[in-house]
Amino acid sequence: MELNTEFMRETFITAAKAIPVTLELTIITMVVSSILGFALALKRIGKKKNRAISFYISFVRGTPIVLQILFFYSLLPTLLNYILNVVLGLDVKVFDIDPIIYAFVVFILNTTAILTEVFRSSLSAIGFGQMEAALSVGMTTSQALRRIIIPQSLVSALPNICNTTVNTLKSTSLAYMMTVQDVMAVAKKEAAFGYNYIEAYLVVLLWYIILCTIVQLIFREVERVVAAYKSGHKVKRFNRLWRPDHVGIKKHTQVVWK
Amino acid sequence: MRPFHPLFIIEAFIKIFPFIPVTLATMAGTVFFGGLIGLGLAAAKLTKKPALVAAVDTYIYIIRCIPSIVLLFIVYYGLPELLKSSGIDINDSSKWFFVITTFSILFSATMAEVFRTAYEAVDKGQREAALASGLTEWQSFRRIVAPQALAVALPNFANSLVKLMKEGSLSYTIGMIDVMGKGQLLIGINHGSYGLETYIALMAIYWILTVILEQIFNRTEQRLTKGKREIAFGR
Repeated sequence: MELNTEFMRETFITAAKAIPVTLELTIITMVVSSILGFALALKRIGKKKNRAISFYISFVRGTPIVLQILFFYSLLPTLLNYILNVVLGLDVKVFDIDPIIYAFVVFILNTTAILTEVFRSSLSAIGFGQMEAALSVGMTTSQALRRIIIPQSLVSALPNICNTTVNTLKSTSLAYMMTVQDVMAVAKKEAAFGYNYIEAYLVVLLWYIILCTIVQLIFREVERVVAAYKSGHKVKRFNRLWRPDHVGIKKHTQVVWK
Repeated sequence: MRPFHPLFIIEAFIKIFPFIPVTLATMAGTVFFGGLIGLGLAAAKLTKKPALVAAVDTYIYIIRCIPSIVLLFIVYYGLPELLKSSGIDINDSSKWFFVITTFSILFSATMAEVFRTAYEAVDKGQREAALASGLTEWQSFRRIVAPQALAVALPNFANSLVKLMKEGSLSYTIGMIDVMGKGQLLIGINHGSYGLETYIALMAIYWILTVILEQIFNRTEQRLTKGKREIAFGR
């Protein structure tokens, strides 16, 4: 098998110009979803079980993201057009809207559900004692959240947030279905000229490995800083990049067999 | 706004329903091959030989960074070329081959970690105690270590299986006719109309399958841990 290395080099550079789109999708999705997810997690941790949130999380867990993309991409434009132009009577050219908006809707919808679960489990890991203690020394609820609860829950949530970021980054490769010009779409377009599909996808693969590595390196540094309070001494700088808890595999579950 | 026909959801549901076994069979094939590779990888990692562990870690790391659709396309376009140079022609082989190959590669990386963490979660003393009481190495693995490791691995396995099913829906992009592929076919037959209705039917099917899978695994897990408690407190 002969690989067209010349083509690969060119596509690598062409695809690099689409990296900002992929990063934009990932970063904005993560930021918005973190805020929404945290708010939902606070709702969910209360005594009353919120059926709507449970339903929403179950929906995201139960349906493939590609299906959500196809569904919302065929629903949203016509719905928006109907609401804006027919009901409200505005003269908006809905079909000229940048499709990245629809991509944001789908990815935020998806990631928020995952992050809600992440934050919920990390919040419930802290225990009510911390909140009660903070309130008893005279803090307000928001103070207690900001100074006591969030810093602690962040430590246990970070590996999962890193995992979610990597997964979001990977799923943005599906945005090409909504005609968003990300790395995947650009490489696909380049490949179509001379049927160099293998080379083009290998380039995409290379880019994703690079991006994934960067994301994980950043998160490792953040984790080191955030977790610094836990161990009085300096935290070891280099540990392995790959950890099973990043893919949601529980590491420390031990079978107690008495 | 174009009309919406709720009745067509039911019609699409009935038409897609017979293709659920295809999706499940693909999953079963993937779990089999992916599980086997994963088992091998986990065993390689447990040998604790630095070179071997580094190789497996690299493999897992790379697989983890690949979006499944990219790997699917690489396998679909690349594998026939790769095998052609060694004299095997698979251009005519069915789509199953590519789908199962792709998802086995993806699944094996997760499974390797699931198996390894499960094995390591069982205390070393368990094996030693079994050996001390006269069981052979194989007996102690089969009767003492494996059942305990299974209980640890099960929730992780269930999670990966649900993920696999959802990602498997991507196989329609290379023309595989499973649940998702049939849905796309239906939309094609109707010249692109009834898209929304078909997608809703598809979502319902995947959602139901996920819930059923989760229920099955929850039940199994409860049974496994129940046995544990009986042994712990029963005597």
